[in-house]
Amino acid sequence: MEFLSVLDVSFFLLVGFGTLVGIIFGAIPGMTATMAVAVCLPLTYALGLNNGLALLLGLYVGGISGGMVPAVLLNIPGTPSSITTTFDGYPMARRGEGEKALRICVIASVIGGLISAAVLFLFAPLLADFSIKFSYVEKFLIILLALSVIASLSNSMLIGIFSGVIGIWLSLIGDYSISDGGNGHTRLMFDFMEPYLFEGFSLLPVLIGIFGISTILLEAEKGVKRDVAGERVKIGASGRFSLSTFKGSLTNLTRSSFIGTFVGMLPGVGGSAASVLAYTQEKNLAKDSSQMGKGAPQGLIASESANNALTGGALIPLLSLGIPGDATTAVLIGAFTLQGIQVGPLFIPENHETWYIMMTALVLANFVMFVLMFFAIKHIAKVVMVPKHILYPLIVMMCVVGAYAINYGIMFDVWTLLIFGVLGYLIQKIGLEVAPLIIGFILGSQAEVYFVKSLESFGTYSIFFTKSPIALVLWALIAASVLFAIAMGFKSRARQKMELSQMHTPSNTTAGKRHDSTNG
Amino acid sequence: MASDLFDVSIDFETSHLFFPTLVHWILGGLLALILITKVAPFLAAVKRGERALPIVSESRDNLRFFATLALIPAYFALMAIVGDLFPYTGYGFLFVSMAFVLCMSLLYLHDWTKKALVIVVVNAVVAPSLAWFVLAKLFTITLP
Repeated sequence: MEFLSVLDVSFFLLVGFGTLVGIIFGAIPGMTATMAVAVCLPLTYALGLNNGLALLLGLYVGGISGGMVPAVLLNIPGTPSSITTTFDGYPMARRGEGEKALRICVIASVIGGLISAAVLFLFAPLLADFSIKFSYVEKFLIILLALSVIASLSNSMLIGIFSGVIGIWLSLIGDYSISDGGNGHTRLMFDFMEPYLFEGFSLLPVLIGIFGISTILLEAEKGVKRDVAGERVKIGASGRFSLSTFKGSLTNLTRSSFIGTFVGMLPGVGGSAASVLAYTQEKNLAKDSSQMGKGAPQGLIASESANNALTGGALIPLLSLGIPGDATTAVLIGAFTLQGIQVGPLFIPENHETWYIMMTALVLANFVMFVLMFFAIKHIAKVVMVPKHILYPLIVMMCVVGAYAINYGIMFDVWTLLIFGVLGYLIQKIGLEVAPLIIGFILGSQAEVYFVKSLESFGTYSIFFTKSPIALVLWALIAASVLFAIAMGFKSRARQKMELSQMHTPSNTTAGKRHDSTNG
Repeated sequence: MASDLFDVSIDFETSHLFFPTLVHWILGGLLALILITKVAPFLAAVKRGERALPIVSESRDNLRFFATLALIPAYFALMAIVGDLFPYTGYGFLFVSMAFVLCMSLLYLHDWTKKALVIVVVNAVVAPSLAWFVLAKLFTITLP
């Protein structure tokens, strides 16, 4: 417990502040935990390592939890991961049990968060220990595995892989860095770009652009409508909350928390997958699931414990392998780098103190989230009403600060925001996937170094298969994720066909072909 | 021998192009696959009038969308210009942000009531000042 002595009051205050701001961001529909972290980045520049971590982890936990507020009160998921919370939360709120529903969510969230933090604490060092022995060959295969998992969970695997490879391509712009053993030549650009792009695009402006600016563009296109026009948020105090609601939900809580943690570990998979999986499992396995979807607490418990369990889960591959588990941890990786932390297998063994401080901040953030949400939920619920015409300009402003200050005042980083804001908009418009692209962008340059160095030292492509048993295991996992995607693709196509044939029994109309190409 | 097939030697001078070339081939292959399996059926559906092209034939709030697309670059460019007039003060950020926040708020505001306008103006002055004060003055972060 030596590490506690380095913590001061500001550490605890920053965890609290971060969590509060995160909750507010999460609670505003359309704003996500990712954006909370991105927008508050400039604040961490001036903070030291410990305090920076406190703020970032607070934002992360708060941002994921905040999504429950509009999900329950307005039937709008504040973050994608609270989609399943709307199924039971909104019916409860309409019965006037909004407060009760939110309190159930808060308790489920904190338990999910703490279970996943425990798994992180026990599991990340083990995984790091194991992966320390990896050579470039295995490291390259790990990245390949990460990308194939993300792609296989995309709507269409082909599109997912394509988006990931575009991300890799973008990351290769710039020089083949001498510090990585490259020859220092630039590629994929014209000569006039060299002064700006010698080191390629900086990670954080790219992320802030894709998550911040493109969201604004997508909203502007829709005319920035007020989606809660005139509707007063009623929290409803009837249906008093008592802990007895949780009676008999222990299995559900534990199962959903572990599902959330596990899904969080898979790279690039957003929170919606975790909560949807936990929700359907509860529906399939519960003794009585007849009330689910009509306002059953068990649905809320499954959804919220799973989506908060993501937080610990997503940090496992980040801290032990250097691979971000979701979009928010992708931004976190940039923020960590800024604080001088190189995440990867060596992080935990070499920075024991920082690791414990991180865990402290994570657990603390969960408790702060619990206290804030449990007792102040009535006041927090009001932020869902903040008008967008006030909010959006401020977000652009904070994005600018974040991008400009990151390399101590480079105007090109601000333009990067715009480039990637527009790119992010186009990507989403033509149906490519953002998550694989981002992960590809983050891991692309490392993938190059591992790949080329492996070939330089061994001189044969077959090394990727023959290097070690671990390499074979990794190939097996890659194959499994590809097969999984193909199987799922067939399954959903078969289901669509069945639904369509039921709808159009008389003749096979042209509409039947519609669905097949909707993924594109 | 099978192993000869997999042998490869990378010239250090051109090693910066080795991986990108590979990525180009993969991208090209994937693009071809997507064109055949996704884009071609999609375009056929567009031709039959069942699907609409993204972006081009979608309904859109043109004014707000294109004004946003113009406002943001103007904001970035002016910030640098004004910032150069007052180097190392962050005034470029402060003043241009005020103007930007005001314009964008007005652009996105649907009902121009007196109360809403007052809030917009106050916000446009206070928020950038606060951000500037906290970041540039308290935390001494470089701003344009």
